[in-house]
Amino acid sequence: MKKVLLIALVSILAVSVFVGCAPAASGGDNAPAANEEFVKMGEEAAKNGDDSLKNVMDKGEFIVGLDDSFPPMGFRDEDGNLTGFDIELAKAVAEHMGVNANLQAIDWKAKELELESGNIDMIWNGYTITPERQEQVLMSEPYMENMQVVVVPADSSIKTLADLAGKKVAVQDGSSAQEAIADNAELAASIGEQIDFKDNVTALMDVSSGQTDALAVDLVVANYYLAKDPDKYVILEETLSPEQYGIGFRKSDQALHDAIMQALSEMKEDGTAAELSEKWFGKDVTTF
Amino acid sequence: MNILGTFAELAQGLGVTLALFALTLVCSIPLGFLGSHVSLGKNKPAKFIYNIYLVVMRGTPLILQVLFMYFGLNLAGIHIGRFESALLSFVLNYTAYFSEIFRGGIQSINRGQYEAASVLGLSKGLTMRKIVIPQVFKIVLPSLGNEVINLVKDTALVSIIALGDLLKIAYSASMREANIMPLVAAAVFYLAINAVVSLVLKKIEKRMNYYRI
Repeated sequence: MKKVLLIALVSILAVSVFVGCAPAASGGDNAPAANEEFVKMGEEAAKNGDDSLKNVMDKGEFIVGLDDSFPPMGFRDEDGNLTGFDIELAKAVAEHMGVNANLQAIDWKAKELELESGNIDMIWNGYTITPERQEQVLMSEPYMENMQVVVVPADSSIKTLADLAGKKVAVQDGSSAQEAIADNAELAASIGEQIDFKDNVTALMDVSSGQTDALAVDLVVANYYLAKDPDKYVILEETLSPEQYGIGFRKSDQALHDAIMQALSEMKEDGTAAELSEKWFGKDVTTF
Repeated sequence: MNILGTFAELAQGLGVTLALFALTLVCSIPLGFLGSHVSLGKNKPAKFIYNIYLVVMRGTPLILQVLFMYFGLNLAGIHIGRFESALLSFVLNYTAYFSEIFRGGIQSINRGQYEAASVLGLSKGLTMRKIVIPQVFKIVLPSLGNEVINLVKDTALVSIIALGDLLKIAYSASMREANIMPLVAAAVFYLAINAVVSLVLKKIEKRMNYYRI
């Protein structure tokens, strides 16, 4: 009896250690052949003291930090595989450069810390360009257009932003929707109460239960959730503010930034980028 | 998405949760026992430092300890994996609690027993092994059990450093499905783990029930 218990315990331990320590999901399978163009770029930059690109080409991978609970930009399918527009775009860029994209799930609240401490090489997951973030990280040129919108129940009396006066508005804490409201002084003053939720799903549930009247959120995210429940909600025609998504790098990693942007523009030319955008959003929203 | 699919998906996070739970227990119970001897020992400087450790570990939220351990070490240039860093934080934290539980247990043994043992010519080590420890273990078992059950639930904190534990996987699924069912399923998982843990604890307690005073 004792022995059986012991054996059972040890085997559970062994299995769990094995599973627990298995490396995080990595993008590619075999190391692809590095693209000579980028190898040369990396060596040029290394001569000038920036070896960020050279390191990536030597290692054969770059590490993308992403929030794996942010559909449709980055999330997990039912088998636990990472998918989404940003993920597929990052993988395509890696393939173009002849390296692997190592996809690392991070906690979104700690994204800049993860970048600074070298656990990831870039933040790439619906990362909205803001002046505050531009001070902290090396922000790329915008690669896609987005906007902040307001979602209300289909039968709501709210039709315009002005109708939000005195109403309760839900937002995701730390999101750019929160900033969009703060930046719109008139709106911020007129709404009754702003309630900050941990994520958009709980915020949307609160709207659906009638506790709050509206949700301010990214258009791409709103479209994803509305597609799940098409008759329940509507998006107000009047939008809060346009915004753009960028990729965040360490301030010192100019060469890596240049290489990724060059890869993106080459993919724009050969149509790969438009194809991905069509697949996820039904139209080409890329701006690089 | 059906309920079976949800359970199958969450099972992916079970490995991290169980590994963290089991390894923390295996490391921190013996360490806690050793630690209780520092607390009860005569070495003043060691006691002082140990008490600071206890105050810090028991006086700050575990979620912050997990966060500081991971980012602190990595920012300082010591590159440590997510799982290893989480395990280290948990072992340090739980050792503090276990050590205080053991200290209480050892102090509850009557002085007279030590004197009797010494009259009978038993060495200090032998007294500890054959007389004190068996009784201490029985005394501390209920409090130990409390902490073990707590540990199962505390493992859910590691999602702060994006480890793919049960809660993290459930949370991601909930974001994808725009539905809280995966979180309910996660609660069922934690409940099931703790049902097994409680059962095992009861069994051990029963087995320890000889010569009850």
